[in-house]
This record gives sequence, C-alpha cells and structure tokens, in this order.
Amino acid sequence: MATGTKVEIVLTVNGRQYELAVEPRERLLDVLRYRLGLTGTKEGCSTGDCGACTVLLDGEPVTSCLVLAVSANGRAITTVEGIAEGGNLHPVQQAYALEGGLQCGICTPGFIVMSKALLDRDLDPSPRKVRYWLSGNLCRCTGYHKIVQSVLTAARMVRERASQTSQPAG
Amino acid sequence: MGSFKVLGSRVPRTDAYDKVTGRALYTADLVLPGMIYGAFVRSPYAHARIKKIDVSEAMKVPGVVTIITQENLSRDYALVIEEEVHAAQQVRGLLAGEKVRYHGEKVALVGAETLEAAKEAAALVKVDYEPLPAVTDPREAVKEGAPLVWDDSQPVTAPDGSLLYNVVAEDHRSEGDVDQGFAESDLVYENEYYVHRVHQTYIEPQAAVAAVDERGRVTVWSSTQGHFVVRSNVARSLGIPLSRIRSIGMTVGGGFGAKFGGVVDLYAVLLALFTKRPAKIVYTREEDLLDARPAPGLYIRIKTGVKKDGTILARSAFALWNVGVGGGALWATGAFTRLYNIPHTKWDAYEIATNTPPMGAYRAPGYPQVLFAGETQLNQIAADLGMDPVELRRKNLKAEPGFFETLEKVVEKVGWFQREKGEWEGWGIALGHWRNASSPAGCIVSLDEDGTAKVYTGLMDLTGTETAVAEIVAETLQIPYEDVTIVRGDTDSAPFSPPSGGSTVTFSVGNAAWRAAQDLRQQMIQLAAGQLNALPDELVVADRKIAVKNDPERSLSFAEIAQTALRSPSGPLIGKGSFGGDPSDTNIFVQAVKVKVDPETGKTRLLRCVQALDVGRVINRTQCEGQAEGGALQSASWALMEEMQYDEQGRMINPNLADYRIPTAFDVPDMETILTEFPSRHGPYGAKGIGEPPITAALAAVASAIGDATGYWALEAPVTPERLALALATRQPVRAR
Repeated sequence: MATGTKVEIVLTVNGRQYELAVEPRERLLDVLRYRLGLTGTKEGCSTGDCGACTVLLDGEPVTSCLVLAVSANGRAITTVEGIAEGGNLHPVQQAYALEGGLQCGICTPGFIVMSKALLDRDLDPSPRKVRYWLSGNLCRCTGYHKIVQSVLTAARMVRERASQTSQPAG
Repeated sequence: MGSFKVLGSRVPRTDAYDKVTGRALYTADLVLPGMIYGAFVRSPYAHARIKKIDVSEAMKVPGVVTIITQENLSRDYALVIEEEVHAAQQVRGLLAGEKVRYHGEKVALVGAETLEAAKEAAALVKVDYEPLPAVTDPREAVKEGAPLVWDDSQPVTAPDGSLLYNVVAEDHRSEGDVDQGFAESDLVYENEYYVHRVHQTYIEPQAAVAAVDERGRVTVWSSTQGHFVVRSNVARSLGIPLSRIRSIGMTVGGGFGAKFGGVVDLYAVLLALFTKRPAKIVYTREEDLLDARPAPGLYIRIKTGVKKDGTILARSAFALWNVGVGGGALWATGAFTRLYNIPHTKWDAYEIATNTPPMGAYRAPGYPQVLFAGETQLNQIAADLGMDPVELRRKNLKAEPGFFETLEKVVEKVGWFQREKGEWEGWGIALGHWRNASSPAGCIVSLDEDGTAKVYTGLMDLTGTETAVAEIVAETLQIPYEDVTIVRGDTDSAPFSPPSGGSTVTFSVGNAAWRAAQDLRQQMIQLAAGQLNALPDELVVADRKIAVKNDPERSLSFAEIAQTALRSPSGPLIGKGSFGGDPSDTNIFVQAVKVKVDPETGKTRLLRCVQALDVGRVINRTQCEGQAEGGALQSASWALMEEMQYDEQGRMINPNLADYRIPTAFDVPDMETILTEFPSRHGPYGAKGIGEPPITAALAAVASAIGDATGYWALEAPVTPERLALALATRQPVRAR
C-alpha cells in the first residue's frame, strides 16, 4: 500500500551510519536486505517464529521481520555481516564451520547472531542455557546437537583468547 | 584399502565459511534490473467450482504488469512434473481451471513492479466460487458417496470385494502364500495405523527467479534439489526446447524432497515469458504450508503371524496413501517386509486422491510412515510375547552385511539389556533402512599448473555432497582436500548430474568423480613415466608428487607434471568420468530413544536419542553424523508434534510455524550417533547414500517408547499431547491382537 509518506531515519548498521527515507510500514528486515544489500539476514516465516532474521538491536537480539524500520531510528544494528571482527571471523563463526553446526545454512545467520548475543553476556554457558537461548531459532537440518557443540566450542575459544590477551606480554 | 589420507576427516563443508558470514547467495537474495514480482491468487476453499474470475479491479492497481489465469494460458501449457524419486508423472493445469481441488491452490498469478502492488492486486481479483463438499482423510475418501476429487474417477474393487472410491493408482505384490503363513502361525496380530500428512518445513521457502533474453532463451535461478530436473520440467510443462533453457541452482535452504521443481519455478518463467522482464517469486511460509509438496499420509492395516518363539511367518498390509491431488507413493509400501526373513508377504496398496495439496518426496519417501506401523507393531508383539524387542529382531533379521553389527552397536551404547527407567519413562527401539538411488552422472577433473585439481560437476549440494566429492577426488589423487576446487556448474556449464534426492549424490556423482580422478591419475602417471624413464607400475603417487618406487629422488611434483603437459603434444591433463548407475546395497539405521511422559498433559519429552547408521564408508565424519542427527530429529518430531490439520471444510488450519510446530534446541537432548562401515559393492570407496535412512525409524521408536512408558500403544502419528492425554484419561490403552 504505497502511501507516499516517508520518514527520515538514521540507522547505524555494523558500525556504518545510513540516512534513509522509509515508509512507516517498511520492516527492518526489508530495509537491511533490499535497501542496504545486506542479504545475509534471512526470511523464513515473517511471523517471528523461526528466528532466521535475527539481528542485534542495540545489542538485543530481535527478529527483524517484526521490527518496523522507523522504530529502529537512531539505534545500532548488528547483522551477520557485522559479526566478524577486523576482518577475522568471530569464534562463533569459526566454531559453527568447524563443528558442523550448519548444513543448508539458511538458519545459520540467525543462529550466529543469537549465539554471539549469548556469549556477549555469558562466556561459560551451560549446555542447557545454550539450548534455552537458541530456542527462538529453528533449524531443520542438524537436530541441534552440533549447533550446541559449536556454541560451547566458541565460548571456549573466546575464553582462551581472553585469558591470552589478559596475560602480560613477554 | 587400508588407511585413508582424506576420507574419514572432519574438514568443514566447502560452503561453511560463506554460510557463517552471510555471503552464501540464496534465490530470494537475487535482484535483477527491471525485475517484477509475482503473487498468487489462491483458493480459500478446499473444493469449489470456479464460476467467474474478474481481474478488472486488480488491473487498476498502479504497478500491475500482468495477471495470468488458466483462461489466458496456452493450451499447450500444463504442469508436467516427473517426480524423479517416485518415477511418477503428474499432469495438471498450471492454474485452476473449472475447479479448485485444495485450499491454497493457485487460481491466478499477478506480476507487478513491486511485491506490495502484486499482493494488493491479488487480493482484488474477484473469483466467484461455488463451494463443493471436500474430503481430506483417505479413510473417508474411499467410501461410497465421498466427494470425488477427480470427476472421471471410477471405483475399484478391493481384495475383500468392497468398492474403493477416489483411487488414482494401485499396487499388489506377494511372495509365498500369506494365507498358509497365517494358518501356520501361533498368533496373528492385526492393527490399523494412521499417519497424518506432514510438511518438510525447510527454513527457506520455495523461491525462483526467471528471465528471458531477446532470442527467447530462458534462464531460471531457483532453490532446487536438481537444476537439471528443473530444466526438464520447464521444458515439458511450457513446451520449450531443452536447449533453450538454462537452469541455475542457487544455494538451497533445505529441501528434503520438496524442491524438485514445479512449485514456483514454472510460474516465474511464465511471468518472464508474458512480460519479457525478469520475474521473481518467493513463497511466504503460509503459501509453502498450503501449496508445496508435503509428504503423503497413510492409513495402513498390517497383519503379522508369528510362532510363540517370535519367528515371523507372514506379514500382509492393506494401505491407503493420502496423496492429495498428486501421486507417487505406492512403491514404498513394502518397506515393512524388507529387513526380515519372512517366508510369506503380501500387500495391496492404493493411492487415494483427497482435497489436499499434491504429495511430494520427504526423505526416504514413504518409509517413515510404513515403518511407523511395521516396527511399532513388532514392538507390540514383542511385549505381548514377553520378549525383548531386540531379541525379536535378532531372531528375524536378515543376515545382510552390517545389519546385526549395527543393531548391536546401539544395544551396546544404550546398555539395552541393563536399561533403566523411572516412573512414566520408557524405551523404544526400531529399525529403518534404505538403499540409495543410483543415477547417471558425469564429471571432469583437470590439473592446474600449480598441481591442484579442479572438479567440474553439476551436483546440487544440500547435505555436504560437494565436500564429499572433493574428498573423493583428493583421496584418489593423493592430494590435500584444500588442493581441490569444486566448480559447480549450471545446466549450460556442467556435465549431467542427478538431483540431490534418494541419497544418490555421493554414490553417483562420487563414482563419476572417482572415475574422472582415476582417468586423470593414469594420464599423470603415463606422462611421469616418460619423463622419469620408468615404467608406470614402478611409480608411486603420494604427497603431491609421483616418484619412482625404489628411487624416490627421481620424482615429479604435480605442478611439474601439469606444466610439462602444457608443453607436450598431449596438452592440458583432463580426466573424464561417467557413471551410468550400478546397484548399491541396503544400509540399516537403528534408532533407540528414551522418553518421559507427563501423564497430566500428555506431553512426551525425549530424554535420549541414540542412533547407528551404516554409511558404507565414512567420507566426512561430521557430515555423516549431521545427516543421522537431523534425520532422527525430523522423525521424532513427526512422531510427537507434526501434523497438517484440516477442518471440516478441508481448510488447513495451521499454515504457520506457530501452529505447525517443529522442535527447537530446547526440546531435544544431545544426539548420540554411531557410524558403521559395511562397504557398498559399487559405492565410491564403498560409500552408501546416507541422507534417507536416518528419518525412517524414530517414528516407531518414539511411539514404542511411549507404549513402554504408559501402556498406550500409538496407532496414530503424531502422538500429540492431546491424543496421549485423552488415551490415558479414558484408560483405553490400545494393545495388539
């Protein structure tokens, strides 16, 4: 329903600022995918049930199919494209690849983002906590076992990295 | 074949890093210049006569480019789908004609500048319907007086002399004499089972993009399990010569049998043909649940005759497959007989049309349904005989390679004969099986100047098969996995490949790749022999070089061989491999589960999930385990929660992921997976296809575990909390006999 009414918004996506004029009805998911070309964020159900479109909004995981772009005005968004740090894969990404925490890959961006959100809050989650945190993301290929292993491995990698960098040099 | 350099590894999938970074391109990610968007007008009725379609208001919506109905389609167009897995052909109109036959059937197709305009216009297309009575349950559809799904359908006579209506196909097989077998049996059990239709529920909805060039050549990009199948389906359905179609397979977000084409690809091509503009169609989740290719349902009555010691003498079945408006399920009916030594077997199977969407393949098509009944009944019989279900299997299992050994692995892992359970807990075990499809495939392997290999293939990778093929080539050439580059081509650029279905790719394309790599290797050895003044059988291939066995100093690196070839009269080294299809061998899958039932709510929770799969040969351990674990959960989920539900009028009432639930990580335990290796005669390095078997057994294992926990033997799948709570509350455990 083209109303013609546009609203000026500013989004900070993966550290980069975008000034956009969007219609009030536009979803954050579509703005990311089709205006900014960030197609890593996927659409699986459009009703917030599958979690494939999960992004971080000011650090909080949200399903971007249920967020209007206007309501993200002035806020910071992290998509799967922004998870890697300084050109290096985030441990979560490395672990999913190494542990076989993905198959067809369509749910993977959502899982990567949600897993990072968990590790941002807890560097040593229990397997049960991992399963709880990931319960908003559906995967049909893996049976979840290797996904859980991936997150536990990633947590260990982050912990090891932290303990290495906290030691004095030399 | 002793030790392997590459096979059995856990190297990441070839596409793993593109998938964890969001780089992998799926069909819905494509945007082409000037592209239009398609939206469907769908039937709100399960069965109705179409009296009139009025598109005048819809055409006024700004941005609408075209609206296609069956009326303005060429009579040469038809939906012609060769179901590769089922070897069945379905022919229907592309859009509904005089009647709609299921809720969500395509009635018209709108093409517009934006998706919003297309959807708005689709909502404004006025269709006058005259609703008709509908039938969605095959048990009702066969009765006299049931609504006829196809007007010209004639009743057929069943073995008991009754008339069956809405039959679209039938199959009757027997071995031995079941009447004699039942007569010789000490006990005869007969049970009726019912399995609801389920949806494959890949997370990526169906999607396609199509474009037509100035000379009328069609390009179609799609989320498909087989781009060669898409090409032939587009050719057959729209009357376009094969050579005028280019089919490109994008990264696929899951298929499990539902993505062999015909759901959206043909329609994107239609829009492109009508408008001369690129066109994109992406299903919503609701559309996918209403109108894709879900699995068939099954009513099956199984009769089994046994001696008191558990020896099975005879088994027969009467089966009604709910195929919706499609077909192709019959062939799976005999799955309940194949693992066991049974002297007398017989089955009578019918495909029954109902007012539900056309059936498609779903991972080991038909086997989970049949084995739910067959294996659950064996466990009931064991309980009735006071015999352990494993003992019953040991007594009757065929002595084929790997059958007993794989069963015993699970027995050992679980500690089956020492197993413990608390209140409302139960154990279940069941066997499943598959024999992978064997399909024609071609492959080319070339050697680059740096000594690395390039593999040209037309496979579609859903399950990690690209990684498997790369590993097979690396092993054959004795180079590291990293030295192999896979060039996955489209139908213009790749040799013929079968679709990813029926567990065929690693076996068939793997064989073609193995042959191509062998061919290349022979050429390299010939060239090296000449250069090193040695006989070919004096040479060894290892560590990226070819050396003289007794004088290792005399050697040529792969890079030197490739460069020498470029300077020699023979030119670049290119190995070719073609595979026509040699038979594989059955692999067995063994599933054990432990569950806990909440008697108040009827909710069943999985506590343990232990499975063993004979893979023939482990190509990539991580991917093999991944197949076993994913399939086991799909099957367990079918046992407990998945069901396409229809109301009295035949409308689907749960076409969304909030109401059609699939499990989350929080619903399931860790997976305990064992791989066994009993090589297939003709598989590459002995590999068997492994995608299908993991879904075949958990339906029965979970249902049997519930039986063990509650005394309620499930006759209907899924065993939802409602069904189980009702059975427990009314104290009507259903037992065999």
